[in-house]
Amino acid sequence: MNNLKKMKNSIRWVVALKEEAQVILDYYKLKPINEKTIYPIYKNEEETHWLIICGIGRNNAAASTAYLYSYSKASIYTSWINIGIAGSDKGNYGDLYLVDKISTYERKKSTYPSTMPKSTLPKMHLFTSDIPISDYTSYELIDMEGSAFFDIASKLTSKEFICLMKVISDGPKNDIKEITKSKISNLIKVNLYKIIDVVSYYERISEAEFLIIDKPELFYDIKSKWHFSATQSYRLETLLRRIETFCNKKDIEKTIKNCETSNSVINVLNTKIKNNLVNWSKF
Amino acid sequence: MIETIYVEDAIQNHPKTKFILNKFKKSRIISINKYGEIFNKRNQNFRIQKANPCLILAHKKDNFVLPAPEGFGIGSSKNFYFSHMYNCIYDCRYCFLQGMYSSANYVIFVNFEDFDISIEKIIKNNLNTKVTFFSGYDCDSLALENVTGFAKHILSIFRKYPQIEIEFRTKSIQKEPFLSLKPMRNVILAYSLMPELMSNSLDNKAPSISKRIRVISQLASKGWKIGLRFDPLIHGENWKELYQELLENIYNNISIDNLHSVSFGSLRFPKRMFRDIFKLYPHEPLFSSPLSLNNKMISYDIEIEEEMTSFCKNLSLKYINEGQIFKCSI
Repeated sequence: MNNLKKMKNSIRWVVALKEEAQVILDYYKLKPINEKTIYPIYKNEEETHWLIICGIGRNNAAASTAYLYSYSKASIYTSWINIGIAGSDKGNYGDLYLVDKISTYERKKSTYPSTMPKSTLPKMHLFTSDIPISDYTSYELIDMEGSAFFDIASKLTSKEFICLMKVISDGPKNDIKEITKSKISNLIKVNLYKIIDVVSYYERISEAEFLIIDKPELFYDIKSKWHFSATQSYRLETLLRRIETFCNKKDIEKTIKNCETSNSVINVLNTKIKNNLVNWSKF
Repeated sequence: MIETIYVEDAIQNHPKTKFILNKFKKSRIISINKYGEIFNKRNQNFRIQKANPCLILAHKKDNFVLPAPEGFGIGSSKNFYFSHMYNCIYDCRYCFLQGMYSSANYVIFVNFEDFDISIEKIIKNNLNTKVTFFSGYDCDSLALENVTGFAKHILSIFRKYPQIEIEFRTKSIQKEPFLSLKPMRNVILAYSLMPELMSNSLDNKAPSISKRIRVISQLASKGWKIGLRFDPLIHGENWKELYQELLENIYNNISIDNLHSVSFGSLRFPKRMFRDIFKLYPHEPLFSSPLSLNNKMISYDIEIEEEMTSFCKNLSLKYINEGQIFKCSI
C-alpha cells in the first residue's frame, strides 16, 4: 500500500506580511512548523493548508513559492493562493478583488490568471512593481509580489489552480504612509468570508483532481502480490481504471485470483475488457 | 454565459468584434496581444476550462482553407476545409478536439473576409473539378451561429458558385439562417447522430437526438439537402436494436428526396490522443469498451467495425441508393 498520507485537497498560501496572514492563520488553524526554515511556514494539522510568509518584493515571492512547493511536497493538484493588500485609484478602499491580468515594467507580455467561475467578486488588472508607486492613475491594482508568485506557481500547476486576491489598502484618498499593521489585519478580516468562499472553490477542484489522478483502489494490492515492471504497472493502472467502470472490486479480485504471473494478470484483465459490452442505459 | 472575453488588440475595432461583443454585454473584456498568450499554452487544465470556457476573439493570419484529410469526403475529387473557430461548445467524449488543444477556450477568428478570399481563389483554380468544402472541422460549424453569423456570411460566396458544394457539419439545432433563406442545392447540412441512449451519455451539452431529428425534418421539408453522419458508430449492449431504431426513425421522418448522403465512420483515436483524453476522463464508460491498438490507432477490432458498418449500410439501402452512402475512414 502507498505509504504517503493521502490528502484529498491541497492548498498553499503565499502571503507577503504576517499582518496579512494572521486572519488566515487563525481561521484555518495553521501553526508554525517545528523546524528552522528560510521563510516562516505554517500548516494545519491535516497538512492540507500550508502558508508561507514571503516578505515584500518579487524576489521573495518567487523564492518562497518555490521553497514552499519543495518543503511541503505540494502536488500537481495543489491550489496556490496569493492574498495581500494593493494600491488602486479605481476600486473602493477595503474591497476584495480577483486578479485576471498581470503586467510588470520588465516584461512586454502580460500574464492572465484564471479566476473562479460564477464569482460575484469584481476583477481587476494587477501591476506588480519593484518599488512603491504613488501615482495610481495608470493602473487598476498595484502590488509588489503578484507577478512573481504567478510566474512560479504556473510552473508548478495548471493556471486554473492559481488564485490572486487583493484588498485595496491605499490610493489617492488613502495615503500609503498611513497604513498600519492593525489596518492591514482589519482589511483582510473584513473580507474573511469572501476569501473563505473563494478558497473553498479551490479546495473542491483540488479534491476533484486528486480523485481523478489517484491510482485505482486495487492497484497497490495487486502490485504487492505480483511483480510488475514499470511498463506493466502503467498497463495495469490503465486497465484497472477502464474495468472499474463496469466491474466492482470483488469481481476484479475473483477474475485474477488464479493468475500466476503479472503477465497473466494483464492478459486476464485485457480479455475482460475485450468481452465487455457497454450497457449504455446505465450511464 | 461567457464570463470572460479576450480580445486581440489588432481587431478591437473590427466590425465583427463589435458585433460579437454586443451579444455579451455582461462579460469582462480583457485585451491581449496575441491569442496564443491564452490559447494552447502549457499548464492549462482542459477539464476545468471546459466547465467554464472563455471566448477569445482573434485575427487569423494564414491557412484559411486547407485540403481535407484523406478519407474525409462525400464523393468529390477535391475536398477542402476551413474553420472560423477552434473548439466546440459541446463536450462529446469521443471527439478529437478533446486531445487537439491543451485549452478548452473558444477562439473565433473575426476576419471572415480573408476566408472569402481564400475560398474564392480555390474555387477559381478548380472550376472544372468537383469540389466540396467542409465548414467547421475544428469546431461545430453551426453551434455558435447566433453569435458569429459565419454560416450566413459564407453562404453568400457559395450562392455565386452553384457547382461547388459546401457541407456544414453540426450537432446543433440552429435553424437560422437556413429557415429564412431560399434553399441552395450545393449546400449540405450534415448532422452527426447516434442512438439516443448512447448520445445521452456521450454527447454532453449537445441537443438531444430527437431534437436534432426534428430540425433535420424541418430543414429537409423546406428543401435543404441533408447529410446524415453516423460517425463514430458506437458499440455496446443491444447496438443493433439501437441503430435500427435510430435509422428507421430518421428515414421515416425526413423527406428522402432531400437526403444528400449518409456516411458511417468508426471510433478511432491516434494512440497519443487517446492517452491524453483517457487521462482527462479515466472513468468514462466509453473507454471501458473493447478498444485496442490496431495499426497505430486505438479502435474497436476490425470485425466489430465491419459488422457495425455493414449492418447500418444494409439497413440504409432499404431507403437510399448505394451511391449516397460513404465511409468516413480518418
